[in-house]
Amino acid sequence: MQRTIRKVLVANRGVPAVRIMHTCRDRKIPTTAVYSTPDRLAYHVFMADTAIHIGEAPPIESYLNDDKMIEAALRSNSNAIHPGWGFLAENADFAQKVIDAGLIWIGPSPEVMRLMGDKIQAKEMARQSNVPTIPGIENAASAEQIIDWMRSEGIRFPIMIKAAAGGGGKGMVKVEHADQITMALAQARSEAKKAFNDDTVLVEKYIEHGRHIEVQVVADEHRHVVHLFERECTLQRRNQKIIEEAPSTLEDDLRHEICVTAARLMRRIGYTSAGTVEFLFEPATQSFYFLEVNTRLQVEHGITELITGLDIVGLMLDVAEGKPLPIKQSDVVPNRWALEVRLNAEDPRTFNPSFGTITHLRAPLGPNVRVILGASEGEDIPPYYDSLFMLLMASGADRADALRVLDRAISGNLRLEGVKTLAPLLLSIVRHPKFIAGDFSTNFIEEHLPELVSGFRERTGEDEMLRVAQYVAEISALGPQNWM
Amino acid sequence: MTSSVLPSAHSSREYLFVRPGMTAREIVQAVRSLPGACFTSVSMRDSGQSDFKNRHRIHDLKTLAPLYNTLGLFSAECHGGARWHVGIMNRRESPFEEIRLLRTLMPDVLLQTLIRETNLWGYRPYPRNVIEYAVSNVDIDVWRCFSFLNDVRNMRAVAEMVMKRGRLFEPAISFTVADWATDAYYLRVVHDIVALCGGVDEIILCIKDMAGVGNPARIGQLVAAIKHHYPDLVIHYHRHVTDGLAVPALFAAVRAGAKIVDVQEDALVRFYGHPPILGVHAYFEEGGVHVHLNRRAAELANEKVREWIGHYEWAESPFKGYDHGVTRHRMPGGAFPSSFEQAEKGGFLHLMPAILRMMAIYNQIVRYFDVTPGSQITWVTCSGIVNRYAKERGEAGVRQLIALLTRFVEEHGQNLATMNESEQEELLQLFRNAPGDFKSLLVGHYGKLPVGWPADWVYQSAFGDEWESRIQERSDLSPLDALKDDDLDTLRQNLTEALGRAPTEEEFILYLMHPKDALNFIEFREKYGMAPLVLPTDVWRYGLRHTGQKVDFELDGKPYCIELVSIGAEHDGLIYVVIKVNNVTRVYPVATPRARKAEIRLARRPNDVGAPINGNVWRIGNPRRGPIAVGDVVHKGEEIANLEAMKMENAVLAPFNGRIAEICVRLNEIVQEGQLLFVLEKA
Repeated sequence: MQRTIRKVLVANRGVPAVRIMHTCRDRKIPTTAVYSTPDRLAYHVFMADTAIHIGEAPPIESYLNDDKMIEAALRSNSNAIHPGWGFLAENADFAQKVIDAGLIWIGPSPEVMRLMGDKIQAKEMARQSNVPTIPGIENAASAEQIIDWMRSEGIRFPIMIKAAAGGGGKGMVKVEHADQITMALAQARSEAKKAFNDDTVLVEKYIEHGRHIEVQVVADEHRHVVHLFERECTLQRRNQKIIEEAPSTLEDDLRHEICVTAARLMRRIGYTSAGTVEFLFEPATQSFYFLEVNTRLQVEHGITELITGLDIVGLMLDVAEGKPLPIKQSDVVPNRWALEVRLNAEDPRTFNPSFGTITHLRAPLGPNVRVILGASEGEDIPPYYDSLFMLLMASGADRADALRVLDRAISGNLRLEGVKTLAPLLLSIVRHPKFIAGDFSTNFIEEHLPELVSGFRERTGEDEMLRVAQYVAEISALGPQNWM
Repeated sequence: MTSSVLPSAHSSREYLFVRPGMTAREIVQAVRSLPGACFTSVSMRDSGQSDFKNRHRIHDLKTLAPLYNTLGLFSAECHGGARWHVGIMNRRESPFEEIRLLRTLMPDVLLQTLIRETNLWGYRPYPRNVIEYAVSNVDIDVWRCFSFLNDVRNMRAVAEMVMKRGRLFEPAISFTVADWATDAYYLRVVHDIVALCGGVDEIILCIKDMAGVGNPARIGQLVAAIKHHYPDLVIHYHRHVTDGLAVPALFAAVRAGAKIVDVQEDALVRFYGHPPILGVHAYFEEGGVHVHLNRRAAELANEKVREWIGHYEWAESPFKGYDHGVTRHRMPGGAFPSSFEQAEKGGFLHLMPAILRMMAIYNQIVRYFDVTPGSQITWVTCSGIVNRYAKERGEAGVRQLIALLTRFVEEHGQNLATMNESEQEELLQLFRNAPGDFKSLLVGHYGKLPVGWPADWVYQSAFGDEWESRIQERSDLSPLDALKDDDLDTLRQNLTEALGRAPTEEEFILYLMHPKDALNFIEFREKYGMAPLVLPTDVWRYGLRHTGQKVDFELDGKPYCIELVSIGAEHDGLIYVVIKVNNVTRVYPVATPRARKAEIRLARRPNDVGAPINGNVWRIGNPRRGPIAVGDVVHKGEEIANLEAMKMENAVLAPFNGRIAEICVRLNEIVQEGQLLFVLEKA
């Protein structure tokens, strides 16, 4: 059934909201932004054609509030909602409410979302589709139960407790010793409850030195399923990705196998729109295990766009309008390498969040750089939401070329002041010989942190200049000081 | 730049006769065989200390360096004394940076420091290992070292380390004029020095007339006496101009056999510094003593000084004019400006004549040399006594005190028993409130006094009933023998903790000398970077004062420009300053001293529990037991609060079994990393 999107309400803020608005503007589709009170002057609001205030700072009163979101869409005369990533993006009930309100949902069907949103069911579904899965138990309720399972299956520590409804690292806790289980279980459940309103958790064997490989898939209502190749998202801290690249360093035959497996699963579950199948790759055995399906646009979709030349948000709009995909599998020919780094407002040594005002912001320019800004200079990073405020991508003919571009982009003319960001850590990683050699696992950052931190460049010429300027400003205002 | 005008004054190496890298023996030999006399310039250190409170910035002083490189100097004193301490406290320059800069700009000039034997560049005796560590890490060619007690034993650690490094050791005798300060007395000191240094071939002897009290005849006589006993000993005469007799005194010294004298640019000479280089040169030449000097370069250096010396008027001593009275009170040139600065700030400038008179009398009661740290002890003790009298009894009381002391010293020959009872009582209270350093001096912490300990009544006066036991514990040992080594590893660890990172060697040495001030200095430089080194002096002191005013500077070989757009009015303790930094407009909110400071208590003590991250305190307590209140008992490892930031939870755990003594935050408060959350007490 063909539908026409007249105006899109972007049910998000920051980087995802801005990203979606870019494509809408390409297609001359007007957009509506929503904003909470502290986001009144935020960049995504400025980017949109119209904007609606939806509540106070706490997400539950604003960006997580489905009724207000639908009301805002109706009030702003939007006939479609794009949820971005995070917040309501994987909430099947919300998707259903959007559809029930007569609006177009730009995303997969609520049924698929519900199916894949339950990790236990998703895993079962994968097993039925002949996709390998990690050993584990579902619905773990007590430490005793977990220990019994470990004993019967011969599983050793570490293990991983995960929110059944989870994603994005929330509600995921790694356990190293038996005496940590009780507390880890409580923490995972509490975080799960808070993030997803569901405290069901599952427990899995922890794959050592695992690499995180995911396959981007797009599908339409006409049973076309096309994969856009894979991404490597191995580099994580606190289970959240911070550097991604496309393609992965897998050999071609494995790449083919993993991509086809992902497409098979998505076809089997009747997936539509853009989505991702995540795998954990174990180098020792050269095997991959199904992790989950992300039923949404992902943060790192941009690098797939860079290597394929496609616009995934655009494809989502096409699918949401009921059109067939404009591409066939054979049209998808990646012809370069791309990397992305996430600039979170956090301390690069401790990963503690750093709120405050971005007093100065200069995005890098130059060949083969792509930037998505979620905030503008002078804006506050509020403590209520995700700390990501900028995505920085680089591409090149091959990995080494793309790394050179990325190094230049971070070290050359990126400038961020007022809040701490991951930039020094990201640069340190990009320059690390093991990362350059492609020799890393999900533990890379934990294992190399002191070394990475010691590689932080303490001062640049610009920093030095600004220290002098700070002094001149203060003395100009205050005059000669007693200490002189 | 003058260099393009007169290249000959800069490029010439014809006046070079000593240079860095020569051994001490080679340097001594080169000076001995030089016809006539030569100069040490003290413009980069003592000159600024004596008349400008050590405020001359390396940014200005370095303009002299290319000229100095061709001047034919024996050395340039550019380091040590109080310049080190004032550098980190007030100019925010590190002595190490200064050396590096000068080495680049005048590579052929011997760099000279001034150290106070065991007190080095600080004000207290340091143990041997600290002395050795510091001396071995500072790149100086000529080590002038004096003892305010003329206690040569105290120089041993420095002498050994300097000579071991192959650098030139220049021991100094502290010079004064007093009935006990005879040629025989000084010859004993020189004898000790020559014995310590194993002869006269690897040292140069300095006569340090730090107050400027030696009249020409006296100095000529002393130099002649020393030369008579040690004909091969090279003598270097250092003298301040305070009494107005400096130029003839230098001439007398040279005529008697001194080879090197200390001078500074004529344009730098005020009242307590050193004789003018061009004037001394002319006077010597006229008197038939050849001076080894590139006169043209010296004239250019003098002109260079005029370009920047006007920026330091604010730092000049408020006490103008020569003071022949120095021959009585003997306050050294180096102590003049700081003493007057204190008097001015403390509002007792009008008491200065009385304090100087008090010092003259004090010098006869407790006998040592008024040079650091002695001069500080004298100053603090005497100004303290006079201030106490002024406060308790008014100016009439001060006059009576001076009259009493004058009578005691001049008429009664310091014989307490011959004074009447009430006078005795008053004298026995004189030093009761004296500073701790004075009392340390009396019991021998600095070493033994040059001509014996003060009379018993001084101890009675200082220590009251304990006076006899304090005399009992009085020590004749050198601090080098009395002081235990510091634990350098622990000190370095302390500094690492204070900085939150490993210190550099240079930072560690700054910290060894002046722990608190070094920390302030490092913090300042982390905040303001190279500002002290690159900004011109008017901008350094006053900032930019009108719209459109610019300051150009260079950093690492690249030009930068800062231009003032506007300075806002103060509001709520903030002033907004708008400046263009390399054409980019930036706004700086500057907090004024009236800014309301949000007090945040940080977890510092062992019983404090701090926030592990920035975040929102969304739970106090834990789900199992519910909220926690003051008085509750908690167990080690139990979750007592939880912080949420960016949707991640972070448990705060009890560090030990204990009782909650205080909860320092409210539920849903946003806290900073390290902020105090709980105070526990051991259960």
